[in-house]
Amino acid sequence: MRRVDTNIWLQRSLPWVLPFGLLLGWYLISSREIIPTYLLPHPGQVLVSGFDYILGDPQKGIYTGRFPGDFSASIGRVLLGFALATAIGLPLGLLSGRLEKVQLLLGSTLNALRAVPGICWLPLALIWFGIGLKTTVFLVALAAFFPIFLNAEAGARQINPTLTQAGTMLGMNRWRRVYRVLIPAAMPHIVTGLRLGMGISWAYLVLGELTGVPNGLGAVIMDARMLGRNDIIIVGIILIALIGRLCDTGLHLLLRLCFKSARRLT
Amino acid sequence: MSRNHLQIIYSRQDTSPEPVILEVKRLTKSFTSADSEQTIALKDLSFSIRQKEMVCLLGRSGCGKSTLLKLLAGFIKPSAGEILLNGEPLHHPGPACCMVFQEDALFPWLTVKENIAFGLANKPMTRRQKLQEVDRFIDLIGLNGFGSYLPREVSGGMKQRVALARVLILQPRILLMDEPFAALDAQTREQMQSLLQDLRRQFAPTVLFVTHDVTEALLLGDRVLLFDKNPGRISHDIKVGLPQTRSVDNEAFLRLRTHINQQLKEE
Ligand SMILES: Nc1ncnc2c1ncn2[C@@H]1O[C@H](COP(=O)(O)OP(=O)(O)OP(=O)(O)O)[C@@H](O)[C@H]1O
Ligand SMILES: [Mg+2]
Repeated sequence: MRRVDTNIWLQRSLPWVLPFGLLLGWYLISSREIIPTYLLPHPGQVLVSGFDYILGDPQKGIYTGRFPGDFSASIGRVLLGFALATAIGLPLGLLSGRLEKVQLLLGSTLNALRAVPGICWLPLALIWFGIGLKTTVFLVALAAFFPIFLNAEAGARQINPTLTQAGTMLGMNRWRRVYRVLIPAAMPHIVTGLRLGMGISWAYLVLGELTGVPNGLGAVIMDARMLGRNDIIIVGIILIALIGRLCDTGLHLLLRLCFKSARRLT
Repeated sequence: MSRNHLQIIYSRQDTSPEPVILEVKRLTKSFTSADSEQTIALKDLSFSIRQKEMVCLLGRSGCGKSTLLKLLAGFIKPSAGEILLNGEPLHHPGPACCMVFQEDALFPWLTVKENIAFGLANKPMTRRQKLQEVDRFIDLIGLNGFGSYLPREVSGGMKQRVALARVLILQPRILLMDEPFAALDAQTREQMQSLLQDLRRQFAPTVLFVTHDVTEALLLGDRVLLFDKNPGRISHDIKVGLPQTRSVDNEAFLRLRTHINQQLKEE
């Protein structure tokens, strides 16, 4: 449990200590050329390249002004894969958490599949779907499926039976109980699953895009490696981290906006 | 047992016998545990309850009181026997037989108001009527101003008031209460007892009330059923026959309490 008497300023400032410390260290290392810039570019250089990449005029260089295109391509793939994973994982998870037969049917197979690292699917996905949107979406959906499914399942299973009994007693049939008791009661777990799923979606997006798609944040990183532009690689990494973080916050806010239970229980 | 006791217990005549609303016939429930051992929780239980009657169930821990209530609520199915509500077999759990649970069974993501309104969703009423009805019940249970609080933000006694309101609002034919006040402190429990008496005067529901507390049973009940363990069955069916307003230091009350305590010890 969080201690209440922790100084508020300490609470605000502590999370920033590490990023700024790292940045400072990086700056010092690069300025004194302890590590040569072809291995680790100078932060100033990264800043300039990042600025160029995001806001530059697309006519002027390979990477200038590419960000909007890459971003929309990547976010589209992530959202598509994530939506697919949610659409399948959430209902299946809830069902499996409530109905023993479904659990018996799915449990062992899904656990076996879960043990396979997502990257193993890459070759097969390439054969099935070729390079591009479909492979990436497939990998993202597959990876995001498991946390979403497993958390929904756990959430549905741990529901206090008196709550379902109360729902029945107060006149809700099975179907309405799903919306009025099951989903709200499982909401904290569902939210956790979706957030984990969103996080892992970005990881697998990069994996899918590393295979040579023309655009996307992962594609840029791979591309920059071949051209020896490690400043752009770092720009890509930082952008993915930031966007991933924003997506997580956005998802949480959206859920809290849409569901009373998410607002009140998480 | 002395003659004296008998006189007290059976002295008051039934003035106007109400019709029987609930009839339990040779009800048996056995559980099979994980290592396939049989526990007979209830065996050949038979009794009936009249309309508007308040019946208290007393008995040692593990004698099957909760099991009986769950059967009546329809949460579990009997192994044998019948439950007749108004002469018809009871099928599904629903608002006809409503339960107030011992532990916290409010929906934690709903406010006090929303919890009370929960069961009204199915009723053919306009939104405004529902809101008015909810407000009326909030007033009845004395929670004015707490309507928009979440369950975790109110006290245990308040939670039980809400639990009571959310079933009373549906006008259940039978109100099942499984040690609803057991987790409360003595003072809050007294308040809840008098609230329950007030509500009974207004709504006259039929109540089946499980308790460990002999005093509570005698304060509230028209009838007390004593449960016997192994296998669970009714050993005594006692008409309380005390006036509506009761006090714990009344002589008849004390004698009845001693009598019941003796019975419970003998088992
Ligand atoms: N789901 C179950 N599975 C197996 N056995 C059960 C189950 N529910 C109850 N029992 C058994 O049935 C018997 C009666 O239990 P019950 O909970 O009805 O007792 P009780 O009178 O309510 O006790 P208490 O006063 O402690 O609440 C006990 O022996 C208990 O172990
Ligand atoms: Mg019990």
